Formats: sequence, structure tokens, C-alpha cells
Amino acid sequence: METDAVILGGGIAGLQSAYRLSKLGMRSVIVEKAPFLGGHTARFACKATDRCRLCGACALEDVLRKTRSADSVKPFVRTAVQRVDDENGRFALTLLRKPPRIIPEKCGQCGECEKVCPVDGALARSPLNNELYIDEDKCLFFKDASCRACMEVCPDAAVNLEEEPDTLELNASAMIVATGFKPFDPELKPRFGYGLVPGVVSALEMDAMLRSDTWFPGEGDAEARSAAFIQCVGSRDPKIGRNYCSRVCCGYAVRMARLMKHRFPSLRPTMFYMDIQNFERAFDKSLEEAAEEVRLIRSIPAEVRKGEDGRPELIYHGPGDERVIESFDLVILSIGITPASPEISTDLGVTKDGFCGTDGENVTTRKRGVFVAGTVQAPRSIEETIAHAVAAAGKAASYVKEMKNGGSL
Amino acid sequence: MRASAVRSVFLTRAARPAEASKRVLVLGGDSIGMNIAERFAIDGFPVLLLGYPAGTQVRDRITLAPDTVLDELQGFTGAFDAILTNSAGRSVERVGFVVAAQPEARVPKFEDYQLPSSRGIVSLSQLEDMLQSGDESLTRRGEWLHVAFLFGLSGESEPAVFSRVLSAIEHLGQGEKVQSYVFTRNLKVAADGLERRYRDCRESGAIFFKFDDAGPVFTSNSGGTLMVFREPLLGLEMELMPDLLVVDERLNPPASLKPLLETTPLAYLSAPFLQPESIRFSGVQTPKAGMFAVGPSRGVFDPAVIEDDVEAVVTALKESVAGVPDVTLPGSPVVDAAKCVMCLTCLRLCPHGAITFAKTAEVDPATCVRCGICAVECPMTAISLAPPAGDPDMISAIRQGLAATSGQGKIVAFLCSRSAAQALKSVPLRDVENLIPIVVRCAGTIAVPHVLEAFQQGAAGVIAAGCFQGNCASGYGTILAEERIALVRELLSDAGIDRDLVRFVPMAGNTPGVLGGAVRELEDRINKDIVKG
Ligand SMILES: Cc1cc2nc3c(=O)[nH]c(=O)nc-3n(C[C@H](O)[C@H](O)[C@H](O)COP(=O)(O)OP(=O)(O)OC[C@H]3O[C@@H](n4cnc5c(N)ncnc54)[C@H](O)[C@@H]3O)c2cc1C
Ligand code: SF4
Ligand code: SF4
Ligand code: SF4
Ligand code: SF4
Ligand code: SF4
Repeated sequence: METDAVILGGGIAGLQSAYRLSKLGMRSVIVEKAPFLGGHTARFACKATDRCRLCGACALEDVLRKTRSADSVKPFVRTAVQRVDDENGRFALTLLRKPPRIIPEKCGQCGECEKVCPVDGALARSPLNNELYIDEDKCLFFKDASCRACMEVCPDAAVNLEEEPDTLELNASAMIVATGFKPFDPELKPRFGYGLVPGVVSALEMDAMLRSDTWFPGEGDAEARSAAFIQCVGSRDPKIGRNYCSRVCCGYAVRMARLMKHRFPSLRPTMFYMDIQNFERAFDKSLEEAAEEVRLIRSIPAEVRKGEDGRPELIYHGPGDERVIESFDLVILSIGITPASPEISTDLGVTKDGFCGTDGENVTTRKRGVFVAGTVQAPRSIEETIAHAVAAAGKAASYVKEMKNGGSL
Repeated sequence: MRASAVRSVFLTRAARPAEASKRVLVLGGDSIGMNIAERFAIDGFPVLLLGYPAGTQVRDRITLAPDTVLDELQGFTGAFDAILTNSAGRSVERVGFVVAAQPEARVPKFEDYQLPSSRGIVSLSQLEDMLQSGDESLTRRGEWLHVAFLFGLSGESEPAVFSRVLSAIEHLGQGEKVQSYVFTRNLKVAADGLERRYRDCRESGAIFFKFDDAGPVFTSNSGGTLMVFREPLLGLEMELMPDLLVVDERLNPPASLKPLLETTPLAYLSAPFLQPESIRFSGVQTPKAGMFAVGPSRGVFDPAVIEDDVEAVVTALKESVAGVPDVTLPGSPVVDAAKCVMCLTCLRLCPHGAITFAKTAEVDPATCVRCGICAVECPMTAISLAPPAGDPDMISAIRQGLAATSGQGKIVAFLCSRSAAQALKSVPLRDVENLIPIVVRCAGTIAVPHVLEAFQQGAAGVIAAGCFQGNCASGYGTILAEERIALVRELLSDAGIDRDLVRFVPMAGNTPGVLGGAVRELEDRINKDIVKG
């Protein structure tokens, strides 16, 4: 198969690059390893209260709609790059495509398979269209062939465990790497109690619960409940090699807190922070508004531990240097954006902060013809990811044109 | 904005020329505008550059317009008329695109801190000039120099300003015997490399005080300005009399955006910026086709993001030239000249500034996004919006949808294509069995007669779903739809029908739960009414 640009990663960055390439009259192939497009954004909740709160998450639905109607964009999901060869500034790739394990055209949505699956999360639903899929990293069949329960129970013969992946050869003139970021693993900061203290969750988990409307503040809604956000978890922390601000977590935490309060007005949210970063224009007013609904405390707790009543207990330095111990019903860790290896053999360079690319260059890399878009290169919001992806698409398109006109540069 | 829009009606030119202009009017001021102009020139776009640094060289394809200001912008993408003034008088230039790339306006916060500008109290820009010119008071000194920076103590600041504060500290640090202090509330480190640079500055001796309260009290005497404050960490009372007190600056959009803002009614949402604050206008896009906002004009001050903007605006122009048609776009609205009474309603309400007047109202197809607002608001129903080829018009779609069922328990849902129609894709099918979806391009297209038609054809209830306020790609399509639905509810009430059988429900493409919930509630209501009736 021939294309103008191959795009690794089908998150906001990859999709936006593909859409803009199509507007430039270029063909592109998106290679997405997950069973659905959208990346992290696909699991974010809309933060609108009485109005849009500008979180940017619905930009995904917008760009999906636009790429779907562009014939020149070919997205492959459940697909990985097996090999990249680069010949005179052009790329030859071997892609490994896994078949859908639950065939959407056959599946009648009866949910029988979900009832019999012994592994949590092996059978999941796409947050975008609710379709069932199998997570091969969790499913027992792909681990040791010890289970076929879903296949046996499915009345529509929609489960397709045995089909082998196929390979596909792809030639492209340019490559855009848009493989995104890795959320900080909160277990690396055990003092915040993640995985140890019940009631401590990561912001990513919280967001997913808000999206699927599965979060309730607990029994007795009349009784006010409390939630604490802890900021900068895994960011602004040179001791663990994170000497940068993740740029998005102040904004997402305030929006999340306000959405939770909007849904459950008796909730009392608190946010523990170092410095609040701007996430809207006219930020003075935004911050004032936020402070009416969210208690803001400038202090990062020293520890989160299990209190005597079983609830998480936070120990922090209050104003005037006194030690405060306070219990909350829920603690949300505002985890940051960390670099993820794009998992391709080509050496693209590493920035000071460990991301992929070259310091001082926005979208170019060490490798001719390879461009970076989105959070693979640095922490970015969705809005900033879109701007960056447009820049990458523009540069990639110029490169493709040059290659077409004169072969190698 | 309305007044000027009306004014330009009477200046309207002849019809759109066959050949769209590729010339770009770049409103610049510093190196960014210059960069953009050069990039365009390389890619074959002739440029007219207003505002550039002194000493800028004339280049191929770039025309420099010295001391010239844009007074007014008329027309549409591919055929704008820029009305310019300079010492020689007024002139009109035809351009295809307009790019606003002026630098930000920097406003020192002397007044906020109630400090007078003086030799010992300078703005950040003034300090930068002093550093640049190697001002003696900063360098050649036998004694220690104490420099205090005020950063975001009054009003939240910006990473772009923090970056400049750090640069100044780094620069000062190169001399010897300098002690820098930063008095702040929230450090703004959310930009490339700032956290690292902040820590380096602290390590090399700069002292940062972060306040939760108003911070230091200033008293001036003959010796200078005395700062008295409670040190935030340990609560100690401290005082400092710096040799130099540096006041930070508020970053405002360029002041010269007015003629561009006047090209669309959406200015009321975006002013003083050119781009409404909404994910619908990401990148350099503005509500008006062919007009682009780079950096400060859209509220972006971070140099790295501005670099993306420069690239993005070049890409956007190439896209217009590539002209790949959008197959999802329905036909442009058609005005029936026999019906149009030139009332100007459409002109005042088109969010994208797509309407002009010749002998009758006319729509510029390249500017119009097909939101349908004009068609619904025209008091003479002179404007019609054709559906995409092959699709039925809305009234036929309603009839077809209900014909087979006689409407029994059916709910007609008008779904905005930019939000609700996306959400529908993720609602479990069994939750929407009774739904007859009518996808509209923008909620602004949903009109009172459509809703009444649905009831006449036997629908049991109607949902009109559009974007949340603040997220409508046409600015106020959703507000207009909400108003119209309120009107229908009045009409139903007057006719003795339960008004709650019609609702406007705001949502986003990623809120299937909101849509599902609205359907469930309406079904309950319908059932209750049946039991009652
Ligand atoms: C908890 C949390 C909340 C956030 N909330 C907000 C918010 O409210 N607003 C906001 O603007 N931003 C928010 N962000 C930031 C936002 O997530 C990012 O800006 C956005 O996801 C970046 O998109 P991306 O395409 O660069 O990366 P990703 O979303 O990470 O997408 C990358 C894609 O590439 C795929 N991929 C990875 N490796 C490969 C490979 N080797 N081969 C093929 N495919 C691959 C992945 O499966 C994924 O689909 C938040 C971040 C976090 C952690
Ligand atoms: S998803 Fe975010 S940007 Fe979209 S409507 Fe909701 S709050 Fe607004
Ligand atoms: S094979 Fe077993 S483990 Fe795998 S998805 Fe099916 S039921 Fe779950
Ligand atoms: S955005 Fe806020 S929470 Fe996130 S790293 Fe920066 S300062 Fe910390
Ligand atoms: S609103 Fe209708 S009648 Fe009024 S000017 Fe426009 S097309 Fe003509
Ligand atoms: S459909 Fe919308 S954008 Fe087009 S002319 Fe009418 S009001 Fe303007």
C-alpha cells in the first residue's frame, strides 16, 4: 500500500494531523495500536456545568467526525508497526494488524460474554461507541489459551479469538509520530497512598468515572462529602526526574472539582497545590469563580494514610507552618504527563525533559522526514496539541511535496 | 459591531471575482509578522505587510506599507477589500487573506501596586532595555545590587512574563554581587523549560517569596522604596529596600484588532481577542473565513505555541489553495430575491459574516458554514438552506420518520451534527428505540415550524439538542435554538398541551449519558401524561 504520510498514533494529535493533511490534498494512514481511536481523550468526561468549561475533550468527537468523512484518511486500529526501513528519506513499514475479536456486525449487544468473563477488564467497551472489545493484554486466551468462555456463550458467534493477525506493507514519504504520553504512575509516589489507601484514585480514573456517570459521592447525599485533589503528582519533581510542569493538571483538576460539585452540590472539594497555572483567558476571574466552589490550599500534603475511620487522612502544613491532619472521603491524585517511548526503532532524539524530538525545534526530529505531533514531544493541552499537530501536518506536507518533486532532498 | 456592519452594506462592491486573490495582508509589528511574511513569500503568496521592525529589508513578493493602518475590512476570503490610511490618505487594497500577527500590548502594573514609575522603580520592559544597553547602574558597581521583581502579586500573570523575569535574573546573575528576589503569588511554569530554569535560578541564589495574602507593603522615602512583609514560610516579619524594583506587565491583545472584530457579530463573544475562547476555534482559525489570528490576537503569548501558530497559518493558506471540497457541506443558502425586503436581519445575525447585499441579500458560499441561522431568522422566509445532495429537507425528514409509525410514543430529536448527533452514536440502542433522529448541521437551524410539524405528524414529544453554551461553533446557534424552544413551550401551554413534551437539552459529542437521560425523562413524562389523560 502507498500513502503520502504514515501517522503513528490515533489520538488527538494523530487525528488532527490526518485531517489537516487531507485538507492539503494528501493521503495518510493512521496506525493505532488500541482497538479504538482517540487516545487518552476518549476517556475524558465533558466538564460542562451550566455552560462549557473549555476542557477541550469534545474536540475528539469533532475531529473524528471530520476524518471519517475524509476518504484520503485510512485509520487502522489494533495495528502496530513491526518494522520501519528508511530508504532515501522514504519509509517502508511492515504493519501487524490484529483482527477485531468481537465482530461488531455480528454482535447483538446481549452482554452474555461480559457475564462469564473471569478477568476484570478483559472484555471492555469502547468509550466512543460502546462497542465491546477484548483487551488482549488481559484476556486469558491470549495469555495461555486457558479460557474461551465468551466465545462459547456468545449466541451470535461474534467472538473471534482464533484468527491470526495479518501483516501489511506500507510505503510512505513522510512519518508523523503522534504516539502521545504515558500518565504518571502514582505508585511511584507511595506517600500519596495510591494502591495502599482505599479512597485514593488517580485523576485519569476519576475522569473515566465521570464520563461513564458511574461516580457517586457515597451514601446519604444529604450529608456533605469531601474530596481532595493533590496537584503536581509526578510533575515539578526533579527528585524523580520530572523537572517540568505538566501544564494541564491545574486546569483539569479545577474543572473536575467543579463538575463534581455541579452534579452533587453538597460535595466539598479541596485542592492542594504549589502554584496554580492559567487554564483560561482572563484568569483572575476564572480563579475567583473557582475559589467560590473549591477550597484552595497552597501546600502539597506530606502523606496520605488510612485513618481510623477507614477514610484517607491527609497530613499537610497549613498556613503559618502548623501541621494539619484532615480526613477526606475521596483523594484524587492529579497525575502528570510523562514521556512514552514511541516504540519504533528509528532514533528521533530526546529532549531535556525526556520527550521525543529536539529541543528548540517544535515539530522536526533528528530523522529527516519524521515529524512529531502532540504530547509525544512535550506536555500539552488538547488545544495546544491541535495547534502542534497542524504545524506538523504542514511541515510533513511540504516534505512530501519536495520528495515528489525531486526525490531525495 | 452591528452599526459598522450596516455601514459596510452601502459600500458593498460588485460580485465576487472569478479568480480568488492569493495576496495576504499581514498585520505585524515584530519579528513574528516578518517571519510569517517571509514564509508566505517563499510559498508563493504575495504579501502586504503592515507594521514591521525598523530596518526591515524589502524582499521579493513582500510589499512593505510604512506607517499605514487598517481602517476597515470588507468582503470575503479570496476578495477582501482592506481600507488603509497613511499620511498620503486612504487607499483600498484587494487581498485574499488577512493574518493578525501583531505583538501583545504590554501594560506595566505600576498602578496596580500603587508604585510610581521612577529611577528605582521600573517595568520589566524597561529593565530589559537597561540590560540590553548595558546600563551602568546594573553592571559597574562595587557594592551589592539588590533587585526585587514583583510577579503576579496583583492579578495573575503569564508564563511568557515569568520566562522574561527568569531571563532578566539569568542576565543579572552574570554580573557579580547581584541578589535577585521574586515576590509572587503563583509562579507560572506551564511552558517549555520554565520549571527547570526557575529551579536553576533558585539554586544560583535568587530568592522567591510566595504570598497567599496581598504581600509586601511599600513605603517610599528619600532612600528608596521600603518593602515590609511577612515572610510566607516561617511567618517572620521582614523588610527590604531594593536598589531596583521591577514591576511586571499585563499582556493584552494588540489594540488594533477593531476593524477585524467588526467583520462578524461574534466579536461580542471574543473581544478583545479575535478568536472566541472555545475549542471550536482552535489553532489560528477565527469565525470569519480567510481571516487568521496568530499568538496574542487570540490570547496566546507562549513563544513555542506562537511558533506553532506561524506554521499553522501557513498550512491554512495552503489548504485554501488546495481547495479540497468538504463533502459533508450542504449547499449554500439561497435567497429568494422576490421575497427579500432588505431588512438586514440576516446581515446582523450571521455569526460568520457571510452575508452581503447587492440587489438583494447574498451569501458568500466560501465564508458561510451553513449554520442555518439566517434561514430561520429571516422574517420573510426568503432564505432556504438546501440539504446535502440526496438528503431530504427537514420537513420531509420529519414526515418520513413518523409516517411508518403514526408517531405512537415516538420522540423526534433534532440533533446538532456538531454535538448531539455524535453523542447518539454511543447511546445504547435500547435506550433510543423510540427516537426519530433528525440531524441538523447547527442547532441554529431548528425552527418553530419544524417542531410544530413534528407534533402535527403525531410525535409524542420533541427534543432539541445542541451544544453547551460557550461551545457552539456558530457562537449563538444554541442560544437561538433555546429561545425558539421556549417559544414553542409557550405555544403548547396556551393550547392546553403539556409544555414539558418539548425540551431543549444542551450537550456535547461526548455526553451520551445526557442524551440518554433526556430521552428517558421525556418518555416518563409522555407515559405520565397518557395515564393522566
Ligand atoms: C488525567 C489527565 C487529564 C487531562 N485532562 C485534560 C483536559 O481536561 N484538557 C486538556 O486540554 N488536556 C487534558 N489532558 C491532556 C490530554 O490528555 C492530552 O493533551 C492529549 O491526550 C494529547 O493527545 P495525543 O494525541 O498527543 O496523545 P494520546 O492521547 O496519548 O494519544 C496517543 C495515541 O497513540 C497511540 N499509540 C501509542 N504508541 C503507539 C504505537 N507505538 N503505535 C501505534 N499507536 C500508538 C495510543 O494508543 C493513543 O491512542 C489531560 C491529561 C491527563 C493525564
Ligand atoms: S467536552 Fe469540554 S469543551 Fe466540550 S462542551 Fe464539554 S466542557 Fe466544553
Ligand atoms: S476468552 Fe475468557 S478471559 Fe478472554 S475475554 Fe473471553 S471470557 Fe474473558
Ligand atoms: S499544571 Fe499545575 S498540577 Fe500540573 S504540574 Fe503544573 S503546577 Fe503542577
Ligand atoms: S433577513 Fe431575509 S428579508 Fe431580511 S435582508 Fe435577509 S434575506 Fe432579505
Ligand atoms: S447559514 Fe449561517 S453562516 Fe451561512 S449565511 Fe446563514 S447565518 Fe451565515
